[in-house]
Amino acid sequence: MRPWGIVEGMSSMFALLAAGELHVSFYLLPLAAVISLVYSASRYELPDKILSRAFKLFLQIVGFMAAVFAVLWFFSFGL
Amino acid sequence: MAAEQQPERRKRWQEKNVLVAGVLAYLIPGAGHLYQGRVFKAVPYFVCILGTFFGGMKLGEGAVVYHAPTNKWGISLNYLAQVCVGAPALPAIRQTQRAKAPSNRPLYELSQPLTAPFTGRLVTTGGANEAPGGKLDGEIRLQTVSTGVIPETTGTFTGTLDGQPVEFQLAGGFLLDRPIGAGFGRHLESSIVRQPDQHPHESLSIRGSIPRAFTDAYCAPPDEETIQDLNRRLGKVYDLAVAFTMIAGLLNILAIWDAIEGPAYGFGDEPAPGDPPTPGDGSKPGSPSVA
Repeated sequence: MRPWGIVEGMSSMFALLAAGELHVSFYLLPLAAVISLVYSASRYELPDKILSRAFKLFLQIVGFMAAVFAVLWFFSFGL
Repeated sequence: MAAEQQPERRKRWQEKNVLVAGVLAYLIPGAGHLYQGRVFKAVPYFVCILGTFFGGMKLGEGAVVYHAPTNKWGISLNYLAQVCVGAPALPAIRQTQRAKAPSNRPLYELSQPLTAPFTGRLVTTGGANEAPGGKLDGEIRLQTVSTGVIPETTGTFTGTLDGQPVEFQLAGGFLLDRPIGAGFGRHLESSIVRQPDQHPHESLSIRGSIPRAFTDAYCAPPDEETIQDLNRRLGKVYDLAVAFTMIAGLLNILAIWDAIEGPAYGFGDEPAPGDPPTPGDGSKPGSPSVA
């Protein structure tokens, strides 16, 4: 199931973050996952709905951050 | 599309005392939901909120959650958000009072012998030069003795310098950070007894830290030097650590609200707006239950 795949991926990322082997921006990924899960849990009661909504919200947050990053990268290209 | 018959569901948040659930949800994220029997929601609240809070504490080396009233409201915005996480952030109020006590000051002499693990660096000072030397790791033994008018703190450092075993005799220049303060390391420095072959303008000292008691370090306010040191060493990670703890507190507001009022949008399988109402559908919060 996709949401549980995210949890496994996050576990690996936490291990790398704890070891200080990733750029500071990657701290935003577990933060986005936590915010998605808690926010969705406060909106719905059914576990399946919470997990699926959290997964979508996580993708929206990460997608938005990636879009902002892409715009900033484009305008700062060559500087 | 016609709505299907909604299954009977218990609104567990209405079955227990709302006040108790709210207070429990505030004190320990997820505890209010556990009290209501909503185990599935208690687990992510507990893990995510406390994980974010203590993860931030770890990132900021324990010096990010503290109560330092610096404005007319008597509470900083940082702590206002952090204290929403409940019991884990409440000790900051008591720690601020303890840190302000007159007895909580840096020590220049010891009232009793000190033996503690020490990590730090060898520092060479000579004229206008001051250079950090190798990494020290070992045990320090110090005591203050009265030699004439001025008491002097002397002792030994036994351990390794960049992995090589060393032993230094220590005397003078002793400074030990205040007992109650932020961070789990307590700054200590002392001069090393001058060696016969040492340059006349050069002096050696050790600077580092010994462990600070958990009860003296947890949520204690840092002094200005500690904050500057953390910003210098951690950079934006320190700001990120503060943000983690603040976000954890703000997320717990959602959890408290959920424990008191139930989920904002209901169970999650309600018919979409515009669908014909289903008889006996009591799945929305606040509506009569079919159970």
